[in-house]
Amino acid sequence: MCASCGFPAAPGHWTEAGAAEPHDRLRARFRRSQVLRAVLPSYGLSAHDGGIVPGIQLSSLTGGETIVRNLEDLWVAAERMCGRPVDPLDPRFTGAARS
Amino acid sequence: MGGSAEGRIRLTILGGFLGSGKTTWLRHQLHAGAYAHAVIMVNEAAETPVDDALLGRSDRLVVLAGGCCCCAGRDRLIEELRRLCDERSRDSVSADRFDGIVLETSGLADPAAIVEAIRADPVLVHHIVVAEIIVTVDALHGLAELRGEPLGRRQIEAATRLVLTKTDAAEPAGIARLLATLATLNPAAPVEATARGSEIALPDLPPAEAEDLPDLAGATSAPIFPIRIELGEDIDWTAFTVWLSALLYARGDDVMRAKGVVRTPAGRLLLQSVRKVVQRPEILPPQPDREDDTIVLIGRGYTEQQIRASLDYFVRASHS
Repeated sequence: MCASCGFPAAPGHWTEAGAAEPHDRLRARFRRSQVLRAVLPSYGLSAHDGGIVPGIQLSSLTGGETIVRNLEDLWVAAERMCGRPVDPLDPRFTGAARS
Repeated sequence: MGGSAEGRIRLTILGGFLGSGKTTWLRHQLHAGAYAHAVIMVNEAAETPVDDALLGRSDRLVVLAGGCCCCAGRDRLIEELRRLCDERSRDSVSADRFDGIVLETSGLADPAAIVEAIRADPVLVHHIVVAEIIVTVDALHGLAELRGEPLGRRQIEAATRLVLTKTDAAEPAGIARLLATLATLNPAAPVEATARGSEIALPDLPPAEAEDLPDLAGATSAPIFPIRIELGEDIDWTAFTVWLSALLYARGDDVMRAKGVVRTPAGRLLLQSVRKVVQRPEILPPQPDREDDTIVLIGRGYTEQQIRASLDYFVRASHS
């Protein structure tokens, strides 16, 4: 396997590759929480990341709770908790439900 | 002067399904010194080329973006090949005269259709000989593509050499089944196993039977199409990745390929996915003359309007 013909890869999970410095990383975590809070409630879920301990806390209205490492794990856990995947092409996000 | 075959330009066609590893393989070949004096032609179905950013090692690179060269972009391909033939005929002495052409097709191209187009052209048929048709096969997703995509099967059938990619990431049982299935589709083509472009030895494989592929004759599936999304200079990487990670989790079988270069505080990131698998972004060196911050999604089962509205919701609604 060749490791020299490509460019170096960003460390960590791919969704977190946009921030390299500590302050950028913290800002990205808060922003991630903000986006998740706009998306998850319609599925009966909520997410919290206080920026202190690693991971994202995912909770359901029915009392389910788990901590996930990254967004990839979050969508798996979200499907397990609410019985279907969070689908960005659901009419609630594409505007079809509002028209 | 040699015979007619020697006088003609040797064309290597590099094909394979979306995200099957064509550029990675070619990049390694160039790194290792192969095709050093060849013209590299890269065809992409989308209007925004990405692969050319990775093939900077080649001396001569021609990009044919915005149309697959076996169908919509065929005329441009023929025109470009004619231009190269003309250039080579006029220049018979200079030291940097190219000695061949490597055509990396889009993932939606049928290599046989390209060969037919060259043979049918009254000029090219006398100037170009198809030396090899190399087709990359994704060890992780190859079987799924062969089950459902007639194009995937046609690409395999057209190959004179098959290159199994991502071999290090696949289970031996899956590799064995894929190899057995490839042997039924194209028993003549030798298969080499690779990881990140370089050849590796296959692991010990269990005995396996070929997959009984369903008959797709007459089956109608929606066409696969590219969507180009301009993210803008002040791209919100976090909102974008929340959206894309959810999209690939829920719709990864429809969104077959995503790729693009995005500028972030951490550098220029090359983002690419094949179905649900996202590669760790490579950090590309600065290249001021390039248009970045554009992502291309290739797939089916949704509309462009749905994709744009959904991304817009994720990026904007969370600010309110």
